[in-house]
Amino acid sequence: MKFPGKDGVAIELLLVEDSPGDVRLTREAFQEANKNIQLHVVSDGTEAIAFLRHENGYAHVPRPDFILLDLNLPKMDGREVLRIIKTDEHLKTIPTIILTTSVAEADIVKSYELQANCFLSKPIQLDEFDVLVRSINDFWLKRVKLPQQAKNLDGKIP
Amino acid sequence: MSSNVPARTPIQFSGYDERCRALLEAAPDAMVVVNESGKIVLLNLQAEKQFGYLRDELLGQAIKNIIPEGFAERLVADGTRSAAEALEQQIGTGIELVGRCKDGSEFPIEIMLSPLDSAEGVLVTAAIRNISKRKHAESMYRGLLEAAPDAMVVVNAAGKIVLLNLQAEKQFGYLRDELLGQAVKSIIPEGFAERLVADGNRTAAEALAQQIGMGIELVGRRKNGSEFPIEIMLSPIVTAEGVLVTAAIRNISVRKATESKLAETVQGLKRSNQELEQFAYVASHDLQEPLRMVASYTQLLGRRYQGRLDADADEFIGFAVDGAKRMQSLIQDLLMFSRIGTQKMVLRETSSESALQQALTNLRVSIAESNALVIHEPLPDVLANGPQLVQLFQNLVGNSIKYRTAKAPRVEVKASQVAGGRWLFAISDNGIGIEKVHFDRIFGMFQRLHGREEFSGTGIGLAICQKIAERHGSGITVESELGQGSTFSFTLAGTGSEP
Repeated sequence: MKFPGKDGVAIELLLVEDSPGDVRLTREAFQEANKNIQLHVVSDGTEAIAFLRHENGYAHVPRPDFILLDLNLPKMDGREVLRIIKTDEHLKTIPTIILTTSVAEADIVKSYELQANCFLSKPIQLDEFDVLVRSINDFWLKRVKLPQQAKNLDGKIP
Repeated sequence: MSSNVPARTPIQFSGYDERCRALLEAAPDAMVVVNESGKIVLLNLQAEKQFGYLRDELLGQAIKNIIPEGFAERLVADGTRSAAEALEQQIGTGIELVGRCKDGSEFPIEIMLSPLDSAEGVLVTAAIRNISKRKHAESMYRGLLEAAPDAMVVVNAAGKIVLLNLQAEKQFGYLRDELLGQAVKSIIPEGFAERLVADGNRTAAEALAQQIGMGIELVGRRKNGSEFPIEIMLSPIVTAEGVLVTAAIRNISVRKATESKLAETVQGLKRSNQELEQFAYVASHDLQEPLRMVASYTQLLGRRYQGRLDADADEFIGFAVDGAKRMQSLIQDLLMFSRIGTQKMVLRETSSESALQQALTNLRVSIAESNALVIHEPLPDVLANGPQLVQLFQNLVGNSIKYRTAKAPRVEVKASQVAGGRWLFAISDNGIGIEKVHFDRIFGMFQRLHGREEFSGTGIGLAICQKIAERHGSGITVESELGQGSTFSFTLAGTGSEP
């Protein structure tokens, strides 16, 4: 059995983010932090659900080990994406982290109500953003044990 | 002669008692005695004076010569009653008539009649008073009433209108006669009558006394049914007919319109203020995003290409990074400023000591770098918004450290109890101090006293402090002298007091 992040097996990370600038910053920061990360990017909520359900040209994408989700997204809002993931029997075990510029209490509460695994605010300073990405990597991708059972089915939804 | 006129002792004029005559002469009013045919048979000195005749000119003359109308008629019995009967009805009642002097001029008189049985038949004694002065005064009062700029209405205890002025006619659109005797309710439908009527425990006068001098706002109704706002002032007058109430009624349509216009304007100002705060918030929030891109990517550029291009490129990138960072702190301060203005304020019991500790934790880097010493006595619990209080301490202590001299900064935080259950906080330092002329300026938005090379900053920090203090029901003051350090003070409500 192979484990993501170990033995050279890539960690599949889905980033749901509509700002290309943020996508690139995140990509740069994760590259610094961990070469083993395979970053997949979708730019709106509808695409995110299609990706997770292998629909609309996403038939052959892997099931992500980990999701970084922005709240304010075009077409389908991040909150709605979160609600769908966390009420879907096959998706709800994927750790889903909210990464947003919002610091509003209402957004934080709502996200946890919808079972977000954690809520992170994007720091304004680049240095701090780098620190944040490193700590995501250190905690969620190195320390945390991620569920493996779905992976055993070759990345296919049963 | 009627038999029911009580018999009186006949007067013998020929043998008239001198003392009686003296009494007659001394009377302050003109006295005239008239016989049944209306001829004057006796008069006194006052009568001569009032009418301008000599006594002999009047004796035997017809009373009509000096009182042209009304008097003679009162003497003559109509078909069914005798002159005495007619007179009896008048006895004790003052009758207002007109007197005519020898020179033809006329003047108002009041006469009191009394019958007198004598050997020469029934005589009538008339006491005649010149009431010119009273009439004049009355007409002055009448003029005053009519000239009053407000509608004036006098109402009796039954709520009926007994007197009104021209303005009352105008304001309510009635003719005077239409209103006289009418219920005041027909022009002031609600509230007025209630104020007149005594409740079980107090009299109308008492009830009124409470209203005196107070303007009461009610609604007036015109004859055409239209209504308008009025203010009435009531005052009771005690008369022989009972307590009357004078109501001065002012049409306050214009004032009401002005008031509502003012209220509208205030409302509009509040709204535009709110919109402005909202705008500042949204603008700074939305500016933050693209700016984060500019700042992040210029920093990324710097990080990756430092020393790999030429010296110019390094310098240019340096300026771009610096500018972007500065703009970020400006926008963050602006955001904080507008957030403090728009936030709903909930004051809770807060340990000001913990708030200070949190502020010092946030400042730990600059405290360490500057070797600052921050000392304080135990600080009280207060009613405050916790995060804002932390920010207030952080900005003030931060300033004390930033604006330091060559010496290591020493900052002291003190609290002492003052009036109204409030605590006075003072933050003193040994820094560079501020000239008195700048005391007002430093709390203004974007106001800076120093070049960026000297001290960095956005010029919003103290504006934020002032806003936080204001939202805690206080101002913020400064005491300072150039080179002698500064003390910033504000107050906070104690936990025992109402916020």
